[in-house]
Amino acid sequence: MQFEISRETLIKPLQLVTGVVERRQTLPVLSNVLLVLEGSQLSMTGTDLEVELIGRVQIENGSQSGEVTVPARKLMDICKSLPDSASLKMELEDNKLVIRSGRSRFTLSTLPPSDFPSAEESSEALEFSISQERLKEMLDSTSFAMAQQDVRYYLNGLLFEVSPNFLRVVATDGHRLAMDTEDMSTTAEQTMQVIVPRKGILELARLLGEGEDDVDIVIGANHVRAKTANFTFTSKLVDGKFPDYDRVLPKGGDKKIVADRNELRQSLSRTAILSNEKFRGIRLTLLDDEIKILANNPEQEEAEEIVAVEYKGDSLEIGFNVSYLVDVLTVLDTDTVQIVVSDPNSSALIQGADGSSALYVVMPMRL
Amino acid sequence: MNRKIIHCDCDCFFAAIEIRDDPALEGLPVAVGGDPGKRGVIATCNYEARKYGVHSAMASASARRLCPDLIIIPPSKNKYGEASRQMHSIFKDYTSLVEPLSLDEAFLDVSNSKKCKGSATLIAAEIRQRVREEMQITLSAGIAPNKFLAKVASDWNKPDGQFVITPDKVSDFIASLNVRKIYGVGKVTATKMYNLGIENCQDLQVYSQAELLNLFGSFGERLYSLCRGIDDRPVVTEHPRKSISVELTYNNDLPSLKHCIAELPVLLDKLEQRIHRSNRQVSIGKLFVKLKFTDFISTTVEQVNQELNLHVFEQLCQTGYERRNKPVRLLGLGIRLREALNFYQLPLDFDDHVATSKVYLT
Repeated sequence: MQFEISRETLIKPLQLVTGVVERRQTLPVLSNVLLVLEGSQLSMTGTDLEVELIGRVQIENGSQSGEVTVPARKLMDICKSLPDSASLKMELEDNKLVIRSGRSRFTLSTLPPSDFPSAEESSEALEFSISQERLKEMLDSTSFAMAQQDVRYYLNGLLFEVSPNFLRVVATDGHRLAMDTEDMSTTAEQTMQVIVPRKGILELARLLGEGEDDVDIVIGANHVRAKTANFTFTSKLVDGKFPDYDRVLPKGGDKKIVADRNELRQSLSRTAILSNEKFRGIRLTLLDDEIKILANNPEQEEAEEIVAVEYKGDSLEIGFNVSYLVDVLTVLDTDTVQIVVSDPNSSALIQGADGSSALYVVMPMRL
Repeated sequence: MNRKIIHCDCDCFFAAIEIRDDPALEGLPVAVGGDPGKRGVIATCNYEARKYGVHSAMASASARRLCPDLIIIPPSKNKYGEASRQMHSIFKDYTSLVEPLSLDEAFLDVSNSKKCKGSATLIAAEIRQRVREEMQITLSAGIAPNKFLAKVASDWNKPDGQFVITPDKVSDFIASLNVRKIYGVGKVTATKMYNLGIENCQDLQVYSQAELLNLFGSFGERLYSLCRGIDDRPVVTEHPRKSISVELTYNNDLPSLKHCIAELPVLLDKLEQRIHRSNRQVSIGKLFVKLKFTDFISTTVEQVNQELNLHVFEQLCQTGYERRNKPVRLLGLGIRLREALNFYQLPLDFDDHVATSKVYLT
């Protein structure tokens, strides 16, 4: 194997691929990246057995096909530390990968490509396409609500629900829930649900570009695959059943507040400073056309903010974990938000006021 | 102002109640405890049994070896609870400051009691007389200016006796008190003290606070006060409860993880009942599982969680089991309570298909 590639071309896909590779590996080959050169296409693969990422770039100069695995992080560090304009000549010599650039030379150890595990293709697959930008938006607006290392392992991921006429993603950690829906026609004959693990979601979100280009999603029995011109991403699915999210979507809350998103977010963030550091509880009091936000901590310090909102109705006092509210107000991008509550023990429904597709459910805190 | 503290301690409480209810047992060696064939332990025994070397916390089987005629009665907790309540209502006639230590033991602060002309000695005598008459069991009492000395004193004329340490006698009394009488001084510390030539509190008083800290760590500070007969701890009527748990020793070791997991639902059920019975606002901070292996080594695994959840207990049990991978003789489940009771994040109400994740809030 022999080829030349500019640092600029190599670095971005290499960075993404290396991101999948875990630092600590029991199996040495898993800390390696698989390089495969076929004609003018170089593909790089990183895996942690749960998530696999293949990045592809085109090679211009004098190539000789072949394949090899080399330590991912070292290759990446070398690439990063070379000057921006550098060009790298790579050549396999006696089971070592020799990298030459200007007056630098690096010789990297290799492991046989046959040892490198690859995700199998799923049978019985369901396919659909969606713009990269929209999918990224859906992930960004919901993934923060995924659980982390919860024993309810099926919460440590994002639910993809594909029905004949929409794609929906849902995340919950048991205290709050985030959901986004895109109307589209799919080939699904009936609604199907899969859970993509947390790590897969975070990696996928990093990969997706800004453009209108589509990403093809293939959902198999055990894997989900996302494919664009430049990469193929595969993640195992979480084997479990996601809770019935529809059950917790509040229906019939009667107290509707419309607020300036940014103003409310900033007031909450300020009040949070003097909330109990551990529990993060704050007290909201709904009054005519204003909300009073009150926080205090064990040191008896207190913060109070009054925010003008649109609200007509009974006064109500309700507690929340302020971080949950701030998280939602941060991922929303509308100017105004709508919050619907009913009583101090029932969940709040938060949405962008101009009918944006994402919706959020936050359970109150008893204070 | 000098305080007046009484430490009341029943004489072999469980056994005394069993003998009271079955006079045929009078004069025979009697113990209350678990079945010797089923790894039971002795909870209490009477003085006849003690002559054979039987003592509480001893395996019933060993007790039976020491005293083949020992009558071992299975405990009937309801009966003891009832007797305990009866006794506490007697205490309450003298002061509201009662700190229960166990079913049969309590501190009373009678500093401000007007009963018996304000004499703590007379109050103790009257309480002992009433317990004897109304309940047909005997109680020993210690009267002193603080909890530490009161507890030492109640043991002085046991059984069925009382002992007073008046404030002016404290320094004489403490000087000759053996260090083993200081609670917190167990075998290890006592041996260390004997090796230093310290036998009684007078020997300890020679050491400065700094020296005691050096020798005995953080306990040194307390030792410095205790060996001078000083103990400022108040009588507290209610201790904040930190955890609620249940545990079970199995007649036969549970041979595998699978067997342990299979026992969890029963324990969880018991735990739920106990939490309900505790009749208080419970705010769960952590769940924990305790395992004691066949080699008597115990391990505890806990996790932050705000709800009872069988699945979590299963996971914790697995983690704990895998630490030793040995048969298990005892399993326990419990919750650690959160300190700040006034914050509680409500969960989303999914129809949880995994396990009971009930929340206890009243």
